[in-house]
Amino acid sequence: MNSSRPRAVVVDGVRTPFVRSFGAFLDLDAIELGKLAVAALLDQTGLDRTLVDAVVWGGVVLPAGAPNVGREIALDLKLPPSAEAYTVTRACASGLQAVTNAVAAVERGEADVIIAGGADSTSNAAITLPPTFVRKVGPVAMSGKSSVQDYFRLLFELDPVRDLIPSKPAIAERSTGELMGESCERMAERNAISREAQDAFAAASHHKAAAAIASGRFDREVAAVTVGRGTRIYRDELVRPDTSVEKLAKLRPAFRRGGTLTAGNSSALTDGAAAVLIMREDVARALGFTPKAAFRSWAYVGVDPADQLLMGPAIAMPKALERAGMQLGDASLVDIHEAFAAQVLSVLKMLGSKAFAEQRLGRSAAVGEVDPGRLNVHGGSVSLGHPFGATGARMVTTMANELALGKAETAVLGICAAGGLGAAAVMEAV
Amino acid sequence: MSDFLVELGANPTASNLIKRLGLPLPMPQRLDRGKGPWPERPLEGRTVVVGAAVDQVQCFDVLAPALAEAGAAPFVQGPTGGAWSAAAEAWGRPVTPLEPGACPEGRIDALVFDATGAATVDDLRALFHFVQPRIGQLAKHGRVVLIGRDPAETTSLATGAARRSLLGFVKSLAKEIGGKGATANVITVAKGREAALAPTLRWLLSPRSAFVTGQELALRSKVKAPTTVPTTRPLEGKVVLVTGAARGIGEATAQALSREGAHVLCLDRPADAEPLAAVARAVGGTPVLADVTAPDAAATILAAAEAQGGLDVIVHNAGVTRDKTLAKMDDARWDLTLDINLRAVLELTEALAPHLREGGRVIALSSVAGIAGNFGQVNYTTSKAGVIGFVETAAPKLAKQGITVNGIAPGFIETRLTAAIPVATREAGRRLSALAQGGQPIDIAEAVTFLATPGSWGLSGTVLRVCGGAFLGA
Repeated sequence: MNSSRPRAVVVDGVRTPFVRSFGAFLDLDAIELGKLAVAALLDQTGLDRTLVDAVVWGGVVLPAGAPNVGREIALDLKLPPSAEAYTVTRACASGLQAVTNAVAAVERGEADVIIAGGADSTSNAAITLPPTFVRKVGPVAMSGKSSVQDYFRLLFELDPVRDLIPSKPAIAERSTGELMGESCERMAERNAISREAQDAFAAASHHKAAAAIASGRFDREVAAVTVGRGTRIYRDELVRPDTSVEKLAKLRPAFRRGGTLTAGNSSALTDGAAAVLIMREDVARALGFTPKAAFRSWAYVGVDPADQLLMGPAIAMPKALERAGMQLGDASLVDIHEAFAAQVLSVLKMLGSKAFAEQRLGRSAAVGEVDPGRLNVHGGSVSLGHPFGATGARMVTTMANELALGKAETAVLGICAAGGLGAAAVMEAV
Repeated sequence: MSDFLVELGANPTASNLIKRLGLPLPMPQRLDRGKGPWPERPLEGRTVVVGAAVDQVQCFDVLAPALAEAGAAPFVQGPTGGAWSAAAEAWGRPVTPLEPGACPEGRIDALVFDATGAATVDDLRALFHFVQPRIGQLAKHGRVVLIGRDPAETTSLATGAARRSLLGFVKSLAKEIGGKGATANVITVAKGREAALAPTLRWLLSPRSAFVTGQELALRSKVKAPTTVPTTRPLEGKVVLVTGAARGIGEATAQALSREGAHVLCLDRPADAEPLAAVARAVGGTPVLADVTAPDAAATILAAAEAQGGLDVIVHNAGVTRDKTLAKMDDARWDLTLDINLRAVLELTEALAPHLREGGRVIALSSVAGIAGNFGQVNYTTSKAGVIGFVETAAPKLAKQGITVNGIAPGFIETRLTAAIPVATREAGRRLSALAQGGQPIDIAEAVTFLATPGSWGLSGTVLRVCGGAFLGA
């Protein structure tokens, strides 16, 4: 990197506990969840909030009335009005996108202090009435000249089935109509990922997450929050320390008869938020902060969603590593978002395949095998949960802490996302 | 232009009734021609069975990744290690090994046999034993493709005979499976041209080759392989000239070419300015008003091409018929037919070829009549046979420039010209073919489009019959 260019660093990161959707965070939409995470970040770092130049936020299920979640968070938390804000949406990679946008802005000299992160509340997904309803009711309701008769006529015009039954929200690809789990079922089949391998991966994810919680490792990045009438939520609620391959083996396939994906080896619908403080390195040091990590590179890619929807990281990770001048083997840690155990295992298989490298990446050697001891060391989305927009910021936070704890030199992140998108980033210790 | 029997056959009640009554009516299968631009994975969800006699496997290294990339998870009789397992891993398309003679469940969409090692009469039995037990399970619109070697490349009598016999195999098989709209063809691959197999096979296995059956596609061009062969929008950035584009086959060709990304220079004579403008507008191309026989035609074309940044492909489609028996033929009929159908092809190629950009293509329309002859068409068939001579002579000459030259010989195609033929002759023309029906202009357009793409680089100096397996001149 050009030495005259300022470097952006991760100063700290904090997230709310992750809870199952329609649970403890039912009353909190993405804005409220985001406020909890950002407030906790400000609290934990003691940052002078007048120094914040911008908020960059990621989200997938955006509140229809206020889609610029970042700005709402900044205003509600009384950050200075000059702290500008925007919101990015790139499916499950939204959180990472927010962070890398912040890093790029700082490194280009556009800002010194940015809060980046993401939040999602599937519990608050808007249920929309059919467009035919809007088109029929709209003109009458919006017109000042509508008479009582107009409204009565409208009542007869509305078809109770076609116009009034709301569409059911689902994580389905718009272009293919396929549920993400169905796409992943096909990936499991095509890459020969067995049910046993998926269950073993899922059990390990839960055990690693449980160990991180029990050891207090997550205390530095998960902030307890108060909801409703003073109910305190301290920790992630989806992690099952006592699960086992045997227990997971009893679950029924969730997406296809005879399939291999179950609720146990897939990530659950989750509510939560995560926030990361990005600063120019010299500004951070001048303010007395000890930076935790920096970014060497990142890459975003797209593949055909009708083919292998969630294979993106297998293309993005080698690309980001190449930009960082590294091999996969050089990375001390590997953190891959676990949408489904089958998807991570498919990606790992691709990374380890010489044929894949030759025919898909135009390389002569495989990207590399990932040592299980370096992969998702404190669990992942299967065990912790996956609030879409927050996951990227959660992964950045966890890896930044690993790097700051001196446990690793570099970490490579990989995220798959709806629409056939893939994201990757390489982080380094500072 | 509709075909009554194809319509009737598509009506389940009618076709059932005709079968029950035992009426001696052929029930041609309505062909599946595909929709929209070339898809990325045309073989996704298709049952493809691949085989080779053991120790004859020469093209599996090309076949395996080609089929996997096209979306097939194939059933393979023969060794499934090496290239197959690598392709399965790279594309996530697991391969299912198949015992000799065994069939996968359900219908088979394509049978592909690698006969490149066929060297003896005994080797042909392996082909027979691969196809025979499975042919009954071939689906409607199914495909049989044999892959062989060039008979000219051997001095062994047995090998030469074995190689040539593949064409006989598909000629008859095409007639036996034509009733279900299925086709059978051979690809012969010259040594060193193996890489050209993938795009050719992909096209033959796709619905775009619906009216090509009982044919040989010989990959033996001398041009250099292109650096990249796009599988979708293969004509992106290409400028293609189509003569006679105002209607019929020319119009369909302009549409198909533009669908795959080409900018089409639509040329026709000034008298057809109106329909030509409509075609050019519809395909987003450039109308070029010129008479192909005029001395300034080439200059007009080059000026139009210049405005688009250059020229990549020439499609010589303009043609006329002026029928009379030779005894009654006058000079005007002779000259007009020869000038448009042959002289213009020669002169325009000579003038335009030096200006073609890298990877140029010249495609000329001949005719099955030019191969078989026709009553009252001495002038026409002379010109169309001349086109074949042009293709065969021009190909080696232009190879140095990286240009391929190929011909297309349409059989009976439903156009304005054929609609004017008397009923009895017309019916004979339609039914005397493996597919028992006439082709549509789009069938020729699809063949032209394939020959215009970078992936057709293995073919040069050949004349592809797009005739539904017509019995004439076969």
